[in-house]
Order: sequence, then structure tokens, then C-alpha cells
Amino acid sequence: MESEDVKLGGLLRECRESPALPPRFQEGVWSRIEQAERSGRREGQSWLDAWAVWLLRPRAALVGLAIVLVAGAVLGARVGARAARRDAQAHYLAAVAPNSLR
Amino acid sequence: MRRSLFILLGALLVAGAIFAGSFYMSRQVCVMEMSNPADDLSWLRQEFKLSDAQMARVRELHEGYLPKCASMCARIAAQKQKLAEALAGATNISPEAEQDLQELGQLRAQCQAQMLRHFVDVSRAMPPDQGQRYLAEMQRLTLGFHEQIEQSMSDDSVHEHHHP
Repeated sequence: MESEDVKLGGLLRECRESPALPPRFQEGVWSRIEQAERSGRREGQSWLDAWAVWLLRPRAALVGLAIVLVAGAVLGARVGARAARRDAQAHYLAAVAPNSLR
Repeated sequence: MRRSLFILLGALLVAGAIFAGSFYMSRQVCVMEMSNPADDLSWLRQEFKLSDAQMARVRELHEGYLPKCASMCARIAAQKQKLAEALAGATNISPEAEQDLQELGQLRAQCQAQMLRHFVDVSRAMPPDQGQRYLAEMQRLTLGFHEQIEQSMSDDSVHEHHHP
């Protein structure tokens, strides 16, 4: 059954007339592709679009998210440590040096 | 173009929200983990990297100092009350008020001297370099405030003298 389908397919392909390609067809196709790319870039592909495209890539979005998260956490920890140190210092100072003496 | 702008603005907003969230959460966790309001001396341990034995000695000195400090504070408060009564309703400074003022100043000076002696004792319970740093820091924090005021006042007076 399958071999018959294959044969039939071959016969159909043979009897279909394929017109001859015009001269320098391939070159023409490539030049049209390049032209389309150039005009596309000129119209809409500004840096804004490039950024948007980059941001929509899952890997880039994930990396950006991780960087922002880690930067926030590191900065928060540093600020928190400084605040805790200041509080502890104020606590000690309040115990040993009453306000009337400072 | 417009769509890209929305995407970028949205991404910036999301990034800002994530940054703020992680910043505040991390800061809060850090403050909660590092601060110990029940212990007056937690700062000394953290800042001057004291061992358990050094901390025990510092704690002993601290606990010995607190009642003396409280008693001196009570005397200062009583003297301030006395001065306030002497000044109440007066249009000039009576000799009694002046006497109270002098006694208040003396009490404050005694209290400061006692405090500085305590700082010296505590600094001796620390490793020498840390002790020096502690003493300098405590002098800056307790006496530096007056120095700043006096300095700013003397600067002002000098400045005023230059005016015609």
C-alpha cells in the first residue's frame, strides 16, 4: 500500500511541469532579503526595540531579575548592618552616658 | 516603537519593585538578626571583637558602674529641680539660684569624671589597640558634642567681630 503511494507520488512529481528559473534568480532573492532587512531596520529597529526584544528573551529576563534581586539584597544587608550597629551604639551610650552629660 | 516603550517601562517598574522588595526585606532581616535590645553591651562585642572572657570582665565593670551612674543622675535631677524652683517667677538671678547653678555644674563635672574613669577601666579590659579605639570613640561621642557647640559658638563670635 505504502509502496504504491510512493510510486504515485513520484509519477505526480514527474508529470508536474516546473518552469525554469530566471537568470541570476538566487542572487536576486538574496538582494531582496538584504534590502528588506535594511529598510526594516531603518523604520522600526531603533535601540528601544532592540532593548525590548532583548528583554523579552527568557534568559535575559531571568539574568536581569537575578541581578536586581541580588543587588537589592546586598545593599539592604549593608544598610541594615549599619543601622543595627548605630542602634546598638545608641543603646550602649544611653546606658553609660545620660543625655544630661552629652 | 510604542510597544517597545511600554515593554521597557514595564520592565523598569518590575525591576524597581523587585529591587525595593529585596532591599527592604534584607535590611529588615539584617537589623533583626544583628540587634539585641536586651543587651546594652552587644555593640561592644560586635565593634571591638571581644572574647567571652573580655566580655565577662566588661560586663562586670558595666554592672558595677550603673548604680553609681543612676545615683549621680538622681542627684543631678534633684539639683535641677532645686534650681528650677529658685528661678521660678524670678526676674533676676538670686544668689541662691547662682549657688544652685554652680552646684549643678559641679555635679555634672563629677558625673563626667566618673563616666570617663569607667571608660578607662573598660578600655583596659580590652586588647590594647581596641581599648584605645574604644576610649577615643567614647570621648568623641560623649565630650565631642560639647566641643562642637563651643567651636561653632567661637566661630560665630569671631565671625561677628569682623562685621562693621
